[in-house]
Formats: sequence, C-alpha cells, structure tokens
Amino acid sequence: MTVADIWAVMPLLIIAVAAMLVLLLGAVVPGRYGTVVGAVALVGAALWCCQPSPGGVATSLGLILSPFARFFTVLFSLSGFLVLLLSHDYNDRRGIRGEEYPATILFAVFGMAALSAATNLLVLFLGLEGLTFAFYFLVAIDRHRPAAGEAGLKYLLMGAVAAAFTAFGMALVYGAGGTLDIVPAMQSLNAGRGNPLFLAGAGFLLAGIAFKMSLVPAHLWTPDVYEGAPAPVTAFLSTASKGGAVAFLLLLLSAAGKVGNLRIPLWGLSLLSMVAGNLAALMQKNLKRMLAYSAIAQMGYIVLALLAAGQGGEEAVVFYLVAYTAMNLAAFGAVASFSGAQEHESLEDYRGLGFERPFQGGVLSLAMFGLAGVPPTAGFIGKFFIFSSAIRGGEIGLAVIGILTAAVSVYYYLRVVVTLYLRRAEPGSAPCRGTPSERCALAAAGAVIVILGLVPGPLLDMVALLFR
Amino acid sequence: MMGHLPILTILVFLPLAGALGIVLDRGREEHARPVALAVAILVLTGAGLTAVAGPVSLVPSAPPGFFLWEDVPWVARFGIRYTLGMDGISCLMALLTSFVTVIALAVSWRGIGERVGLHCLLILVMESGILGVFLAFDLFLFYLFWEVMLVPMFFLIGIWGHGRRIYAAVKFFIFTLAGSLLMLLAIIGIYLIHGSQTGAYTFALHALTSTRLEPAVSSWLYAAFLLAFAIKVPLFPLHTWLPDAHTDAPTAGSVLLAGLLLKTGAYGLIRFAHPLFPEAARASAPLILTAALVGIVYGSWVAFAQTDMKRLVAYSSIGHMGFVVLGIAAWTPVSLSGSLLQMVNHGITTGALFALVGMLDERSGTREIVSFGGLWGKVPLFSAFFLLFAMASAGLPGLNNFTGEFIILAGSFRVAPLAAALAMAGIILSLVYTVRLVQELLFVTDRRPFSPADLSFREGGVLALLAVTAVYLGIHPAPLLDLLNVPLALLTAGTGGTP
Repeated sequence: MTVADIWAVMPLLIIAVAAMLVLLLGAVVPGRYGTVVGAVALVGAALWCCQPSPGGVATSLGLILSPFARFFTVLFSLSGFLVLLLSHDYNDRRGIRGEEYPATILFAVFGMAALSAATNLLVLFLGLEGLTFAFYFLVAIDRHRPAAGEAGLKYLLMGAVAAAFTAFGMALVYGAGGTLDIVPAMQSLNAGRGNPLFLAGAGFLLAGIAFKMSLVPAHLWTPDVYEGAPAPVTAFLSTASKGGAVAFLLLLLSAAGKVGNLRIPLWGLSLLSMVAGNLAALMQKNLKRMLAYSAIAQMGYIVLALLAAGQGGEEAVVFYLVAYTAMNLAAFGAVASFSGAQEHESLEDYRGLGFERPFQGGVLSLAMFGLAGVPPTAGFIGKFFIFSSAIRGGEIGLAVIGILTAAVSVYYYLRVVVTLYLRRAEPGSAPCRGTPSERCALAAAGAVIVILGLVPGPLLDMVALLFR
Repeated sequence: MMGHLPILTILVFLPLAGALGIVLDRGREEHARPVALAVAILVLTGAGLTAVAGPVSLVPSAPPGFFLWEDVPWVARFGIRYTLGMDGISCLMALLTSFVTVIALAVSWRGIGERVGLHCLLILVMESGILGVFLAFDLFLFYLFWEVMLVPMFFLIGIWGHGRRIYAAVKFFIFTLAGSLLMLLAIIGIYLIHGSQTGAYTFALHALTSTRLEPAVSSWLYAAFLLAFAIKVPLFPLHTWLPDAHTDAPTAGSVLLAGLLLKTGAYGLIRFAHPLFPEAARASAPLILTAALVGIVYGSWVAFAQTDMKRLVAYSSIGHMGFVVLGIAAWTPVSLSGSLLQMVNHGITTGALFALVGMLDERSGTREIVSFGGLWGKVPLFSAFFLLFAMASAGLPGLNNFTGEFIILAGSFRVAPLAAALAMAGIILSLVYTVRLVQELLFVTDRRPFSPADLSFREGGVLALLAVTAVYLGIHPAPLLDLLNVPLALLTAGTGGTP
C-alpha cells in the first residue's frame, strides 16, 4: 500500500476510523458524542469526494475513486448522515442506547462506499456483505421488542442465502473468465449465446442482488423486516442498502456495456416487482408494510430503466435512485419523528395529523406525492426519465405495464394523504412534534424532493459524467 | 425575450406568490380572503390588459399568431424548455380562468368556516396551475401544469366537501391522473420519434407538429392524448367521476371544476391532440361526434331525473360539454370558435348556477329540489338571477349559451349535418330539465316552512357581475370572436375539417 493508495481510499478511511473512534468514545464517555462524531465523519467523507480531483486508483486494494464511486459515496454518506439525525432522538425515546448504533451506521456506509469503488469482484462482494452485516445488527438493535428480533432473524437468514448465491455466482464468473476484475469478467455478457458457466454465474449473481433489492419473487422478507425494524433503520435499509445493490448491478452492467443475456430475467423481475409490489401495497393497513411494498414496486421501475442500460438507462437509474432515496428517507423519517415510545403502526393512527403536525405531515405527504410521481416533485421527473429511457431502449410493452401499475399505486399513496388531511383526528392522540435534528433531516429530504423536481438539470448533467 | 418584462411568467406565478404570502402570514386567517381576492383581481386585470393589447405581436420573436412568447431552456440535456405563449385562444382561456377564480373566491367568502387560509391558498395554487396549462407550449411543461392543478382540487373536495367527500376526491384524482399517465407515455413517444427523425430532441409543440408518424403509431399516440382529455372534458362514457366530484365539492370547488377544469380537457384537444395527430384525429371524428352526441342526450336525460340540484347542474355540464366537443370534432374555424366561446359561456352560466345552489344550500342545509318551492315570492332577487341563469343555460336567445351553441351548430352543419341536427334536438332536452327545475324551485307552492334571507350585497354583486357578462356575451360576443380569428385560421389551415 502506497501513499497514493491512501489518498485514493481516503473517504473510506475517514468513515472507518470514525466508526472505531465512536466505539472507543462509547467506552470512555458513553452516550454523548457518538452521533456527532459519526455525522461529522460522514459529511467529511462526502466533502472529500466533492473535491475537484482527489482521485486515484488503489490497484493493490482493488479500489478506484472514479466519478461513479465519488458520486455514490456522497449519496450514501449523506443518507447515513440524515439517518443519524433522524435516529438520535428516536433512539432516546425508544430506549435504544449505546454507541454501537452510530458505529454500525458508519460501518454500513463504509461497506456501501467500498462497493461503489470496487474494481474487483471480491471487493465488490466484501462491500456488499459488509453493509449487509451491519444491517443484521441494525434491524435487531431494539432488543426489548420481540418484533425486532424476529425481523433480525428473518433478515439474517435471507441475507445469508443471498450472500451464498452471490458468492457462488462470482465463483462461476471467475471460473468462466479466469479473472476477478469486473470489466474483463463481465465482457462475456454480450458474447453471443455465451458461455454456460458464465451465464449460470451471472444468474446466481442476479438472484443474490434480487434479494438485496427485494425484487419479486425474492422480496418476501421485506415487509416483515421493514415493519419490525426501528423506523430510522428501515429508512436506511430501504434507501442506502438498496442503493448499494443498485450500484452493484450498475457496475456489472456498465462494465458489460448493455444487459445482453440478462435481459429476459431482468424483464421478468421488473414486471413482477411492479405488478406484485403495487397490488400488494393496495391491501396494507400498516404504513410501514405499505411502504415496504411500495419500495418493492419502486425497485421494479429502477430495473425497468436498467433494461435500457447503454442507451441512457443508467442515468435514469441513478437520478431516480437519488430521488427515491430522498422520498423514502422523508417518508420513513416522518414515521420515525411521529413515534414516541411506541411507533404509529397502523395507517389509522395518522388520522388528521396533517393539521395537528403540519410540518411532519407536509413532508410525509410530499414524499407520498413524490413516490406517486405527481409533479413538481423529484419522483415525477425520475419516473419521466425512467419511462423515456425504457421506451428509447425499446421496452414499450413493459413501459406501458409500468405506467399502468403506477396509476394503481396512486391509490395507496393518496390514501396516506387522505388519512393525514381528510379524516378527523382522534381526540387525545398526541404524536411527537419532532425534535430540531429530526426536523432538519426532514426539511433536507423534502427540499431535495422539491428542488430536483424543479431544477433537475444540474444533477442530470452530473450523472451523465458518471458513465462516460 | 431579453429586455421584455416576462408578462406571462408573472401572470402564471402571481397567484402562487399570493399563496406563498398566505403561508407566510399564517395565523392571521382574516387576511387570507382579501389577499387572495386582491391577487386574483390583479391577475384578472393583467389578463384583461393582454387581451386589450392583443392581437398584435408584442414580442418580436413570437411565432405567427402569438402576441406574447417566453422561451428559455429548462433541462437542456433533454431538450425541455420553459415555453409560455399567448395567442387569442390562450388569451381567452386566461381571461376565463382569472375571472372564474375571482368568482370562486367571492362566492366562498362566507361559506367556508374553517381553515380559510388553506382554502384561499389552494384556489390560488390551482389558478397558477390552470393558467400554466393554458399558456404552456412545451409538452413537458404542459404536462407538469396539467397534473399540478389536480392536487389543490383534490384537497378542496376532500377537506371542505359534503357527503362522500373523500370518495369523490379520490375518485376524481385517480380518474384524471390515470388518464394522464398514458398521455405521458405518448408525449415521450412523439418526443423520441421526432428526435430520431430530426436529431433535435425537443418537446416544443410547434416543432413536434411537423413529426411524420406512421398511421398506426399516430393513432395509438392520439388515443392516449384523447383518453386524457376526454376524461377531463368529460366525454361520455368517461364522465363517471364528474357527478360525484361536482356534487360533493364545496361551492368554490364546483365553480372551478365546471368553469375551468373541464375546459382544460377541451383546450387540450384543440391545442395538442388535433394539431399533433391531424390524420388520426380526422379518422376518429365520427367516434368523437357520436360520443359527444350521446353525452348531450345522456347528460340532459339523467339531469332530468336528479333530485339533488347540484347533481342536476353537474349532469347538465356533461350535456353542455358535449356541444363543445361536437364543435371540436367538426374542426372548422367557425365550429371551433363556437366551441371556445361556449367554453367561456358554460364557465359563466354553470359557475353561476353552482353559486346559486350553494347559496341556497348555505341557507337551508339541503339541496333536494323537493324541499323547496315558491321561492319567487320569498326571495325575489335570488329567484330572478336563478331564472336568468337557468334560461341562459337552456340556450335562450339573447343570452350567452345561445350564441355559443348557435355558432357551434352553424359551423358543424357543413361537415357533419346529421350530428348537428341531432344536437339541435339535444337543446330541447336541456330546456326540459331546466324548466322543470325552475318550476319546482321557484313557482310551485311552498312545500315546507322555510323563509330564507334574500341575497346579501356580496352575493348580489357577484351574481350581477356574472349576469352582465352573460348578457353581454349573448348580445355582443364579437370582441371575443375577434381574438380567435387568427389563431383558428392558423390552426385549421391545411386541414379542411372532417370529410
């Protein structure tokens, strides 16, 4: 490892060192500085990536601080930062104590950042498993509630299976191509009918990713885990962890140039996710479960644009991922900020809250309109680019199905808004008002939703640079 | 563009700025109504001034027929532009929008008891959205405004509505949004086709009209546009959201729905669907004519059977909008000018009728026709206005609706004689339910003890304003028609109407 290597991996180092520091601080001055140190480190890592040319390749480590890696590191660090803001007071109210929480968030961001910087299948795998491993803890961190333990166990079992799939897929890809470097290894994707060994490997890889992205039919863990985990953790799980999986897939596909032989499985995953996710969400009475199915459907839209990889699809995917991250952070963040010692589980608990708690209710409904794709929100612009790149890529049939399922989805998103504003509040219900840090995080997420909806140009230009 | 005051931007975003002002002044609800009304009157003045300054082009860069034009890049990477323009058609619609908004604010001055600030704010936001729809000439921008205007209406119905307000609000929202989503795909489709033909990816309406389309592609894309607009108009059989939304909306909501939102659908057909896909539109004219005729007869028929006054007026809208669509389907300069004029007329008469029904509802708490009777003796002023607007709605010569219907029929007769003749019969049907309503409400003997107060000064003023407009447009619609000559000649050039 050379000095140049250290510069190249500086954002990762910042996050990792901060995570250790948080744990050490926990031993010396418990319960005081964890969140602050974590938040500062994440913002620092994001700022480091924003420098004009911090770049560099750390060949010996299998990492490259490419524009792609920098962009995703910023995205993941800032989501982690917002999650820390959202969780600090939430954890207080719920009696979740200890420095393990912010440290584990940092470890998760470390995994994601490493994944997005990987040039090597092994590093890619380590990054993916690193972030998943962090989530095994986070999901079950609320030890006093049986539901959290159940969710943790489910996530652990499913995650282990997915990891096995991914590792086996990588082994087969390695066996077929004789290299672990992503770019040469993935070239075979376009080679005619392809090497059966490679195709099997790619299939296994895709199955593993489908688990992480909770694409139907590998989605079954999602509603239970989202429901059982603390709301800020769910916010993180539904955004950054999925973002990591999407980055994984993007790295593989952009190395291959286009979807090639993976078109048919991706097509099926997208179709099933959009249809099943949206239809199942219609029937939910629990807000977190509803958002879980909504997340499944949203991932279906992302895969729809991935099908057009090589024809502008990647750009739409990244743009939508940013929009989706902001919208889901806002939605789950609002849920977290409403929660006192108990979470507001049922949708019925939110009756009339839009007027009782205008700010949090406003952000939650903004997120709902965004997820439903109503302008002028980031969700609308994102959906617009998703569908236009899908049509450009020739996937007209799937785009039509997608837009019809989007029309269905409007109903359940709207139901949240209806509950917030059109139903009368129950007397005596007193949800939390949200502390300053929570309000800051919600305001930031809400601002991103609106600003990207009105001025998408700069982000689009930036995203276009990632795939040069 | 540089050096000129961006008048259209100011016009579109002034209401939004007013809404923002109301948000910032939260906590002092009593300010909301005067602020909103002042902003709305300001916008009306602005629209009026543009109409007066009109038909000459005020901006050198404007395309032919346009007197105002603003065009700047918005999302350069995808060729999305911020393009607002105003020709005679848009100007007329902007006038209608700003006028009806003032009326809506004035009629809801007393009726709204709680959350007054929010109510005014939503009306202003909706005005911005609707003005944007009428002034946008970039398809992407148009679509944005098109959907934005749904949200405030959803809340207006849902929060201050009556009866099954939540059901009506959700149904309204889903129906219209679902229809628009396919139009979004069609917009993307024509954008990509045009881009691949010319290399210039753009959403500009004037560029896209020159796209060469295969007949099959053209008809699919046209179908998507038609679906979105037909739901909004609403064209039979896509009208089922309308009676619920209109009936359960608060008075201001009904006035805005009938007066403006329905017009955006008809406007979309004229401005976007026909010019973008002329062949497909011509081929489907018989279908649309049929739907319009069925709408005229069906709307009037069902209106006759209603026991709820508001529902009756709502169904009558389906019939009246049938006439508008008839004129659009015939696609001659005369029939189109009739349709546009009728859009204004219907906005005024139906708006007035909804306002009158709302006033009665405020006084008695019911809208059942059979609860009333003998109002002529009790509230003479109210009854006089009611009679006037009911007769206007039924097409009494000398009042506004007659002029519009007459021009539509005169314009359509040449290209679609059978449809025009059948529509003529439809006028009689509308007379039937209107006369029944007037008779039951005003003239039969009193059915229950009920002695309401007559119109207040405010109510009388609003109705007098509407009445003057109705009479004026009935006698002398020429100034409005003059606005339409040039743009309609440009619009119909090369397309000779239906064969």
